[in-house]
Amino acid sequence: MAPNPKRLCVDIGGTFTDCLVLDEATGQFSLIKSPTTPSDPSDGFMDGVAKAAKEFGETIEVFLGSIGVLIHGTTLATNVLLTGKGAKTGMLTTQNFRDFLEIRRAIKPLHISLFNVFIPPNRPLIPRSLRLGVPERTLYTGEILEPLNDDETAAAVAKLQAEGVEAAAVCFLHSYANPTNERRAAEIVKSVAPDMYVTTSHETIHVWREFERFNTTAVGAYVGPAVANYLRRLEERLKQSGFNGSLLMMLANGLVQSVDQCIDRAVYFLHSGPAAAPSGARFLGEIEGKDQLLSVDMGGTSFDVGLVRHGEIPTTSESWVADQRVAIRMVDIESVGTGGGSIASIDSLGLLRVGPESAGADPGPACFGKGDEPTVTDADLVLGMLSADFFLGGDIDLDVERSKTAIEKVAKSLEMDVVEAAHSIFTLANMSMADEIIKVSTKRGYDVRQATMIGGGGGGPVHAGFIADRLNIPSVIIPSVASLYSAFGMYAMDIGEDYARSHVRRVDAAEPSEIAALYQEMEAEALAAFEKIGVKKDLVKFRRTIDMRYIGQFHEVEVDVEGGDFTAESLANAAEGFGAKHFELFTFQMPWKGVELLTLRVKATTPNAPFQLPEISSGGPDAGAAKKLIRQCYFGEEFIDVQVYDGSKLTAANEIPGPAIIEETTTTVVIPENYDCLVNANKNYVLTRKGES
Amino acid sequence: MSDIKLDPTTISTIWHSMQTATKEMRHIIDRTCQNMLISQLHDVSCGLWGADGSTIAVPVGLPVQFLGGEFPVRDLVAKYPDDMAPGDVFLSNDPYHGGHANHLPDWAFFRPIFYNDELLFFTMTRAHQQDTGGSFPGGYFPNGHDIHAEGICIPPTRVVKAGVEQTEIFELIWNNVRFAEGVKIDNYAMIASTKVCEERVTDLLDNFGRDTVLACVEEMFDRTERAVRAEIAKIPDGEYTAEAATDDDGTTLDEHVWIRVKVTIDGDQMTIDFEDSDKQRTGFVNCVYAATYGCASGAAIMTFDPALSDYHNAGTMRAIDIKAPLGSVVNCEYPATVGASPVNMGNQIMEAVLDALSKARPDRAIAAWGKHRGDYTFGVDPRTNERYVRTSFDYDGSAGAVWGYDGYQGVTSLTAMGAINRGDMEEMEARLPWRILKYEMVEDFTGEGRWRGGPGIHWEAVNEGSDGQMATGSSDGDVVQGFGAQGGNPSPVCRTYIDRGDERIRVKPHRMVDIKEGDIIIKQSSGGGGVGDPAERDPEMVLEDVINELVSIKAAREIYKVDIDPKTQTINEDETRKLRAA
Repeated sequence: MAPNPKRLCVDIGGTFTDCLVLDEATGQFSLIKSPTTPSDPSDGFMDGVAKAAKEFGETIEVFLGSIGVLIHGTTLATNVLLTGKGAKTGMLTTQNFRDFLEIRRAIKPLHISLFNVFIPPNRPLIPRSLRLGVPERTLYTGEILEPLNDDETAAAVAKLQAEGVEAAAVCFLHSYANPTNERRAAEIVKSVAPDMYVTTSHETIHVWREFERFNTTAVGAYVGPAVANYLRRLEERLKQSGFNGSLLMMLANGLVQSVDQCIDRAVYFLHSGPAAAPSGARFLGEIEGKDQLLSVDMGGTSFDVGLVRHGEIPTTSESWVADQRVAIRMVDIESVGTGGGSIASIDSLGLLRVGPESAGADPGPACFGKGDEPTVTDADLVLGMLSADFFLGGDIDLDVERSKTAIEKVAKSLEMDVVEAAHSIFTLANMSMADEIIKVSTKRGYDVRQATMIGGGGGGPVHAGFIADRLNIPSVIIPSVASLYSAFGMYAMDIGEDYARSHVRRVDAAEPSEIAALYQEMEAEALAAFEKIGVKKDLVKFRRTIDMRYIGQFHEVEVDVEGGDFTAESLANAAEGFGAKHFELFTFQMPWKGVELLTLRVKATTPNAPFQLPEISSGGPDAGAAKKLIRQCYFGEEFIDVQVYDGSKLTAANEIPGPAIIEETTTTVVIPENYDCLVNANKNYVLTRKGES
Repeated sequence: MSDIKLDPTTISTIWHSMQTATKEMRHIIDRTCQNMLISQLHDVSCGLWGADGSTIAVPVGLPVQFLGGEFPVRDLVAKYPDDMAPGDVFLSNDPYHGGHANHLPDWAFFRPIFYNDELLFFTMTRAHQQDTGGSFPGGYFPNGHDIHAEGICIPPTRVVKAGVEQTEIFELIWNNVRFAEGVKIDNYAMIASTKVCEERVTDLLDNFGRDTVLACVEEMFDRTERAVRAEIAKIPDGEYTAEAATDDDGTTLDEHVWIRVKVTIDGDQMTIDFEDSDKQRTGFVNCVYAATYGCASGAAIMTFDPALSDYHNAGTMRAIDIKAPLGSVVNCEYPATVGASPVNMGNQIMEAVLDALSKARPDRAIAAWGKHRGDYTFGVDPRTNERYVRTSFDYDGSAGAVWGYDGYQGVTSLTAMGAINRGDMEEMEARLPWRILKYEMVEDFTGEGRWRGGPGIHWEAVNEGSDGQMATGSSDGDVVQGFGAQGGNPSPVCRTYIDRGDERIRVKPHRMVDIKEGDIIIKQSSGGGGVGDPAERDPEMVLEDVINELVSIKAAREIYKVDIDPKTQTINEDETRKLRAA
């Protein structure tokens, strides 16, 4: 009998490789977690697949043969960058300007206090000796003042090759205005050193500002060979094991693409994985009719926050990853170092601090039995939020005594007992996550009190309710798939790509036909790319925007532009939209002031195959049948008896008043005192603040 | 308030929320203003003070602009004792008359924060305006004979009353500056930022209550004071002296102006005394006391345990006395000019304090940074036929070394401590009629040491605009070098040239010269000073510098005493041992 067709999303994180299988016939999800294998992540990938196949009672070949679409996210690129294990990378750049990666823009590392100068100097990804200037010069107008010197370029490539360089970044000034010289240099690299990974700045981001563009390109070159090697290897292994569906990669901009389309622009693999979370949030929100959402994902080492506004997922080109500026469009996710593994310590003023140091996966929280440092998970356990014998459905036994011993260390300095200290750790972690949310949302003119929070990740379901309480957020949705939140998000992502062209003009001097031509050029490019993967023209959706600012300003605001013919009226509408958005973001606008446009952008997407969450049977408000046990948990200022429910026995429409705890195999949901929980038809937990409806 | 129960969680939360609010202020200004100096280069400071002027949160800014913020806040409260109200905003740029500004281009907006009709806090943002009137655009005019030649002087003035803009006052002010439309944008951006801070702080008061918030602030002052005193107590008791000079004051040419400091450590108290500094000058290098206080305290803070660096506040200041004689170049009186105060005397104040403290505490030694090589260039852009002013920090050197690390590359100007950024040259070329010919780090152009300064910079550009003028008021360091610490070498001297046809014209700091179409401006700006004896530098680090073309083989041998084979690029161990034994 032929197996049911399936879809598979695989998310390789730092600790776990998550496989989420959707059985197309039954609509049921299967959740599989297996350990990540850092030395060759494709091993962990295949382990997860084997585990999944076993769950379906199939061989790997039969299982993979039944997969139509496989979407994959991986932290590989991020890890390569964070651990400094990228390729030996060289740079070809405009002669007399080889130091921008090092001088940067006079930027000290982020998160280092102004008053701290006792820090090691910047170590650029490409050392000075491998940054070679070649004669060429393009002007901001696009005019080529000096054509590329082929011979000197070939000599420079030969020099890099002799130094053992594996990847080259080609970064010329004003290449966004005219990429001729960069293209020529890339050709020379390919002919002189065919095995060298090469990437150019105009292909990485077609926009101005050299530090940002060059640095982004250098990051892409640095992670490129590792990403390309991994993907080629994975493709081969999948093929050998019977996979003949389409493999789509999850990228930083919140879209998915085929491997061939993205393999030469490896920088887009940063945040592959976490960037999927808001798509999942949007899907879950839609079920409840909500489109103003706050997606929070609390993992072992970090807490990621993303917004969904009116159903749209915002992106930004302002990101930093570790100490590297990355200027591609990325899903606007901010991360703070507070996760389940974050370590509690006492700082220089005798105050409690939680994170950014983390016990990570190894040794992990003290209660896992290896480490001795007190972490947020240890506090959760001591306070009774987690069960010592039902963590991951009992796969891992937690050691409460070890947690207490660890917390004792900070409790002494704080002159508190262990439980008080655990509560302080718990509260401070919630506060710093709440602060991060405020920072992310208000910075973007977004009132969190009107949002619905979606809580995912291992720790999200425990902490989300408390964070929401602190921020006066009326409702929180915890999905059953919370612990595989990013993998779930991948189901809900569109296929596509972002395009951009810098076009610096004042609005009153801009020629609408020129702008129209640039939009058409980008859209034609997008259609050609979609055609290659078999997507028909009428299924492609375009979203046009312009970056605008008041003449004289230095930062721009992205404004929506209507589709179709681009006319003088379209331009006027965009300028008006800019004023309104400026007001929304920054509390003022200046209609008397001229506006200029900088970069035209097109986001081209086609919807991924639709899917639905399965419905569970309805059992009415009474959740009595799912009552599991009563446990002492610390709520408010003391331990109280709290009802623990067995998540697998809950049915739709069940109502559970807070405080209460729901335990599922991969997730523990804590309902604070101020919230009541309703189980919805898709087995998501909807927490509503008492007194709100 | 004594019965308030403070737990460490509440203290941390309130404290960090206040820091976050002031950081958010800078973000708002950043995103909305039109002035290169503010938005791109971050010549802006934001902070939060108590109603009594005590410094609460000063996470981002320039010491000279805001660490002395307590003085204008106190005078403002004294000036408007009864009729200050919610929604008021005050503007001032006056170094005198209660304004305590460091120089006229740095305009400050103050907003009192009320809660239930009680004045509890002040927020202030101070930023360098594109223009402030006076004889020459930009506020760095070297030849003014009194403060009025430097621009419009705005004493603390209510420009928004209970939320209503006082348009007539604004118009009077804007009518006295160049590029008024641009200044207007920046003023609105700054006012908006103070409003956001007020909202954040009010939220905090709503959440935790007035008494708890105020008690937390006091508690943080006490904790910070204890920690800072413990740091000071680690310095051996005694007197430590140093001096620093600017090349000249721009009016009396080629005559150095000195500041001299004596730092006294007595147990856990530090006194920084500038008593033997030169008298105030006619030229524009003078500092008012608040500027001196900001620079001196900023320098002292740099030498404290970096683990405290996120926390400094009024508690820090309780442990430090700063004395500067009235009528001196570090505490000038009306109508002394102050245009170059931040980059000239301000820089020297920080250098002298760091030099003295580097002697006191070698494990926290910090060498001088590359000096600012700024200028204001003024002309007409033929593409638009509009006037423009070009100024930036692009051509500055890098940081000096510290004990344990080489100087950080690229960061500019000790007085800004790395808060200031450089522009993107692609944007500069599109914006201004100057084509850049070269912008790179330079070999052998920094103070050598066991840890060396960050690299110096060569910057060169051709004028594709009209004839115009260039004022080098914000440059320094053609003669006087920045100090090296604990045996490290000083920062090399800097140079600015104009190449006009075959002629090379040297332009010293604090001068005003004509520039012609087609002129090429060349700036050679040295890196910072070194820390420790260069002959003790790890030979592998010397080799790495040679490979990276930051140190020549000759300098490696002569200064670092490391012999490197030019062909194989390897260290000749025997020869190196001999050189180092000698």
